[in-house]
Amino acid sequence: MRPPLRRVPVALRTARVIPHSPTAAPWLQPPSQRLSTTTSIRHTSSSTSHSPASASVNETEISHFSALASSWWDPHGPSRPLHLMNPLRHDFIQSCLASSPSSPSSVPHNNTTDGLRYLDVGCGGGIFAESAARLPSTASVTAIDPSPIILAVARAHAKRDPALVATRGGQEGKKSLTYLSETIESLPLPPNPVDRFDVVSVFEVVEHVDYPAAFLDRVGEFVRPGGWLVLSTIARTWTSWLTTNLVAEDLLGVVPKGTHDWHKYINEDELRAYFAAKDGGRWGVPRVMGVVYVPGLGWKEVKGSEKVGNYFLGVQRIG
Amino acid sequence: MDVVIRRRGAFVCRSCTQILQRQLRRAYSSTAAQPDVYDVVCVGGGPAGLSLLTALRANPVTAHLRIALVEAQDLAKIKSWNLPQNRFSNRCSSLTPSSVQFLDGIGAWKHLERDRVQAYQEMQVWDGVTGARIEFDWAPGSAPTTGTTIAYMNENLNLTSGLLKRIDELGGVSVFDKARVESIAYGEETEELDLREWPVVHLSGGKQLAARLLVGADGANSPVRSFAGIEARGWDYNRHGVVATLEMEGEGWGGEQAKIAYQRFLPTGPVAMLPLPGNYSTLVWSTTPSNASLLKSLSTKDFIAMVNAAFRLSPTDLQYMHTQDSGQADEYSWRLEHTPFDNRAVPQTVVGVQEGTVASFPLKLRHADTYIAERIALVGDAAHTIHPLAGQGLNQGQGDVQSLAKTIEYAVSHGQDIGVTMSLEPYVSERYAANHLLLGVCDKLHKLYSVGRGPLVPLRSVGLNAVNALGPLKTFFMNQAAGNGIKVF
Repeated sequence: MRPPLRRVPVALRTARVIPHSPTAAPWLQPPSQRLSTTTSIRHTSSSTSHSPASASVNETEISHFSALASSWWDPHGPSRPLHLMNPLRHDFIQSCLASSPSSPSSVPHNNTTDGLRYLDVGCGGGIFAESAARLPSTASVTAIDPSPIILAVARAHAKRDPALVATRGGQEGKKSLTYLSETIESLPLPPNPVDRFDVVSVFEVVEHVDYPAAFLDRVGEFVRPGGWLVLSTIARTWTSWLTTNLVAEDLLGVVPKGTHDWHKYINEDELRAYFAAKDGGRWGVPRVMGVVYVPGLGWKEVKGSEKVGNYFLGVQRIG
Repeated sequence: MDVVIRRRGAFVCRSCTQILQRQLRRAYSSTAAQPDVYDVVCVGGGPAGLSLLTALRANPVTAHLRIALVEAQDLAKIKSWNLPQNRFSNRCSSLTPSSVQFLDGIGAWKHLERDRVQAYQEMQVWDGVTGARIEFDWAPGSAPTTGTTIAYMNENLNLTSGLLKRIDELGGVSVFDKARVESIAYGEETEELDLREWPVVHLSGGKQLAARLLVGADGANSPVRSFAGIEARGWDYNRHGVVATLEMEGEGWGGEQAKIAYQRFLPTGPVAMLPLPGNYSTLVWSTTPSNASLLKSLSTKDFIAMVNAAFRLSPTDLQYMHTQDSGQADEYSWRLEHTPFDNRAVPQTVVGVQEGTVASFPLKLRHADTYIAERIALVGDAAHTIHPLAGQGLNQGQGDVQSLAKTIEYAVSHGQDIGVTMSLEPYVSERYAANHLLLGVCDKLHKLYSVGRGPLVPLRSVGLNAVNALGPLKTFFMNQAAGNGIKVF
């Protein structure tokens, strides 16, 4: 089922976003205000079901992605663009890690083994989580998703790879890849900051949650000092409406219909403003990489394209 | 193997495998044999397979992969291959400078016996019917910066032996030689592990190897390709390639420093003589199966006469001499007196043929529909078989291997499963069209020059003469032959 908003004329949809000043994008407002401004149109049925414990989770989104579960790993299925994008996620993370003078390995942490600890939020079928777990530089990957149907797909797929099933380095108990049916709100936060994660990834997720600011507030807590929060999303522009909604979903059909709600897209400068204001300067200056999907060639990095379409953003937690 | 164990984060490290084995044994304690789990299982220990494994082991990014090699022959014998300086194997290949560069990069080239490798700097190609000729030598200023060498003639065994020595030096490859592939089947699902999409190679003696990526480097009749259900299409040329190691009257017209390769297009197929070190050359004579069996039946004296005739006498003379059961030596010396030719434009006279080196093999063109399937990749002759007239067969295989190794490296460094088609797609898109074009060009050349009379004959002479007259075009062809021009494809 698609959100009713998608049938609202473009003029009305844009009209509900543009009036806000650039520094106060609608998604930055707290949930209570946000509800009052947008829920009447967007979530007639599900808005009342939100509880504080699952503020980020939208039931419509979950059912949409659950319906795609069976085709998640089909290389020629609807998730093909995600599969093709995955190597770029690693390239971007590597560029983030290499950029910081205090790389995670040089900052004190409680890793018993060498290597990075990843938390993948909204892991879906596990495209990124599996690949991160296979990297020789990885100690462990914890991957969470609210949809049990998709997690069943992710677990069944990981079972096909002995490298993901086996325990790392022969240690008993600690698997390299762990899937948990949790939301970021329900996942217990390690009390000691140094026990938190080296890399927290949120790929193609923030455009699917209702209250991105509250969501990112919670996600940020899981990054240990010196670690990185890495996300990818889509800028809210005329170009992105044309490419991701009209062309990709309606005309070409490379992305399943109803996957994207353009209204939820977040611009790169909005995220920059968010991190600059957050936690009293405990976040570094974000790194950004814009990417463009070229049918037949896959994803290509295009400088400046973060202003108009898909982009990655990485930000280091300093303190 | 120590390297494999110590490296953390291996795709399937040894300790993981042992744990898996234990888990599997617990789950299926009644089952006798369980597969050993490998990242790469390569079936076929020829030049393509060995180069791939060497490339993977030599690269720090892929060195931690668990690798197995399956080969029917005794590899210890091939590794210790040794011939006296004046004896040469009859199976030689032309290696382009780009192939040599690749082999050098993976540390294998230095393990070849270099004094058995012969570089050549010039090619003489002509039409046996009309005499139209093209001389491939580097015009001043047109030679590539890599040197004036067009290609290197090398015994295939020198290459495989050198690769095996390099693999030995690198270590970390589980070798199953003198082993027959009894069958290939998919794995099973247990409580912990689902190997239903993993190919498992069953060897004679009961050993089972489960492959994340199964590489078919197993030749033109590839069992791996059959298992993957990939069709190889093409045709037989109804021609055989006759090979022999020849002793010449001298080092060649250009001496040691300017060796020349010769190829003459006869209506029955091209005959080529390629230089080896010293006074030796190797012969590749494509001809009809009946001519091939006649050549193999001749006395040494008559065989030598036929080879000399093939580069000097008219096609009509040659046709007649192929009808004689014996006595070609006398026939040749009589007919030679009445045939005008430029002595310096043909190879020096053959004076001997090494015992036991005259052999033949059927020529065919095959191209697999694709090179990949889920957890399968084909390289070398398993993917394509080409007419030998351009000496590109082994080089195509080296190109495949270079591309596949690069594809695997990218997949590993990005956490991808190296066996899935998603990871292997770049290999096919890089190699398929390039190979197909080369297969087609060599096929068309063969067919064009198989015509003995008719309108095509004067036309193709115009073609060769015109190419010879046009410097830039000739340079283009030479760059193609030397493997410098692959970017054009």
